[in-house]
Amino acid sequence: MRSRPVEPLLFLLPALLVTAAVILYPALQTVWLGLHSFVLFDPDSMRFVGLGNFSAIVADELFWISLSNSVIWVVCAVGLQFALGLVTALLLNQTFAGRSLARALVVVPWALPSVIIGLMWTWMYDLNLGVFNDLLMRVGLIDAPVAWLAQPGTALAAVILALVWQGFPFFAVMILAGLQTIPSEHYEAAAMDGASRWQTLRFVTLPALREVIATALLLRTIWVANSLDVILVMTGGGPGYETHTLPLYAFLKAYSAMEFGYASALSLVLTLLLLGAVAFYVRRVARQALA
Amino acid sequence: MKRRTVLKSSAAALAVPMVGASRAQSPTTVRWWYHFDNPQASPASLIAKFEGENPGIKVQAESIPWGGGNDYYTRLYAALVAGNAPDCAMVKLGNQSRLLQMKALAPLDDLLAGWAARRDISENLWKMHRAPDGRNYYVPLQYVVLYLYYRADLFAAAGVQPPRTFDDFLKAAQAVQKGGVSAFGMRGGGGGHDHWGSFVLGAGANFEPGGMVSARALEANRWFVELGTKHKLFPISAPTDGFRQIVDNFKAGRTAMTIHHIGSANEMVQALGDKVSAVPVPVGADGKGWTSFGDESNAVFAASKVKEAAFKWVAFLSTGEHNVAFNAFTGQLTVTDSGASKWNLHPKRFVDATAASTALMGTLPNSTKTADFTRTVWPQQMQRALLGQTTPDAMMQAFERHFHG
Repeated sequence: MRSRPVEPLLFLLPALLVTAAVILYPALQTVWLGLHSFVLFDPDSMRFVGLGNFSAIVADELFWISLSNSVIWVVCAVGLQFALGLVTALLLNQTFAGRSLARALVVVPWALPSVIIGLMWTWMYDLNLGVFNDLLMRVGLIDAPVAWLAQPGTALAAVILALVWQGFPFFAVMILAGLQTIPSEHYEAAAMDGASRWQTLRFVTLPALREVIATALLLRTIWVANSLDVILVMTGGGPGYETHTLPLYAFLKAYSAMEFGYASALSLVLTLLLLGAVAFYVRRVARQALA
Repeated sequence: MKRRTVLKSSAAALAVPMVGASRAQSPTTVRWWYHFDNPQASPASLIAKFEGENPGIKVQAESIPWGGGNDYYTRLYAALVAGNAPDCAMVKLGNQSRLLQMKALAPLDDLLAGWAARRDISENLWKMHRAPDGRNYYVPLQYVVLYLYYRADLFAAAGVQPPRTFDDFLKAAQAVQKGGVSAFGMRGGGGGHDHWGSFVLGAGANFEPGGMVSARALEANRWFVELGTKHKLFPISAPTDGFRQIVDNFKAGRTAMTIHHIGSANEMVQALGDKVSAVPVPVGADGKGWTSFGDESNAVFAASKVKEAAFKWVAFLSTGEHNVAFNAFTGQLTVTDSGASKWNLHPKRFVDATAASTALMGTLPNSTKTADFTRTVWPQQMQRALLGQTTPDAMMQAFERHFHG
């Protein structure tokens, strides 16, 4: 009986140690803090509270408001990013003059830092100086400037639109890469069968892209659910609680109230909610690897 | 194996006196954290002068991102907990209570007693910076007092005077509100508690138990919220407007009044020239009022091993001409009497408005809850009240609960 070779493990060890240091240790510390009452400016009074933070979360009205906003935020932002990304990828897959330039330019929003995007869109929405109000008034769609980020009916939608602009290139690039792997024979066969453009998209293109789309949707859902930078810059969660999402709530509890124990518990709840998506994703990857 | 151990021990034994000798000869290094709004500004010239006058001390200045105060203090608290804090840092009164609770501050009374230039800073300022335990932990560095900016030309056109009382304010606001001009650029986003404080704390609300829910406090808050919800005197973007929006709206002629401090005076004058002026914030009929005292100090930390050298540096920054030079970077006002007498960094009318406002100046409570109040609790509640999602009274009850449970 041959002994198992140890070399692969030795080569993996540095990466595993780094992963343990930068991911496993902080994750375990978050769990540990979530079981404590810990205020950063009062470290001496740290005490174990068990599941006390979690029962407080269940009774916390702001948690439920934040969770509700998070669901809207993820569904709308990811859904619209996907739709826009798909259309963009289909267009960029056509042959036209300047296609290479268009493919390069479409990645720009994805490459910009979130803070820059937040600031840029804040000024685009500005009541007095914003380009949106100027254009909409010029074409006669509105009579007076709208305070997009200061009104309950428009604030969340306005921030979602900014995130859609930032995130759609991810879908566009992923789907474009997928489109180029579809054999041309499939389209030729569809054409010979007399398929319309819509039928070709419905029965040839989308099924062939299923794996790519599923992976992109899962990854983006996790990222968007965790993201708070654009919201923080544009509205800080306001007006009131209108754009207050779960990661933002955890962030404010940690860095404004300095309640690291409660904030850790909020983060763990968010993690548990996302765990379903993560498990689904891992299962898919494992299945693909075994196929 | 034994020989190796002996060699290592010998090397270590030899190294100890060498390290000691090296320390004796090398200058003391003082680590100092600071933040400037203007990233172009650098304290390098002041550091060079200080090091020239104190050859045994090196200053390692570290610019820390301000991030509305949040980034700066989170890093400071984390560094203090981790045992890697600087020797001294720029700090504000609103965070003194948290720092004291962490036992992070070094009392400076003994060192201050031997510093002659301390008398160049007014006793009033020392009093405001003193901790509840009666000791001095902060060395004042710069300050501002909030006042009311008003558009002199719009007021003249409307035939009204800049307001002195709350009643005057409402009448003047209604007179200057015309077409695309909103009367008052109210700051509903972060930092806007200063605007609210001028009207609500000025009219009798306070942070003592029950002070937010007294009849006077509730009435004052209703009056203030109704300036927006009933009289429509604020721009519709007010709930989320921050510093940049209120200043730009005022400069663009879209608001006729707003509240800020001398730090924005030069920018206002550059845009509006003589059309902009300033007066103290309005007061009640009884002459009582409140305006925010915006402070900045330096503190030396208890864990510092070079407290005396750190104190020398922070004292240097708060001394006469050095303090004036420092404030040229930040656009705020010198804390020294000698510097104030020769002040020429701002037009006189704004310096006068600041001086006239000092009689009203106050600070938020020295409480561990204050930072969260200004950063999160106040904007959320104020915005909800302006949008009709909560009542003005419920807003004040939320403040009372935040501070007193």
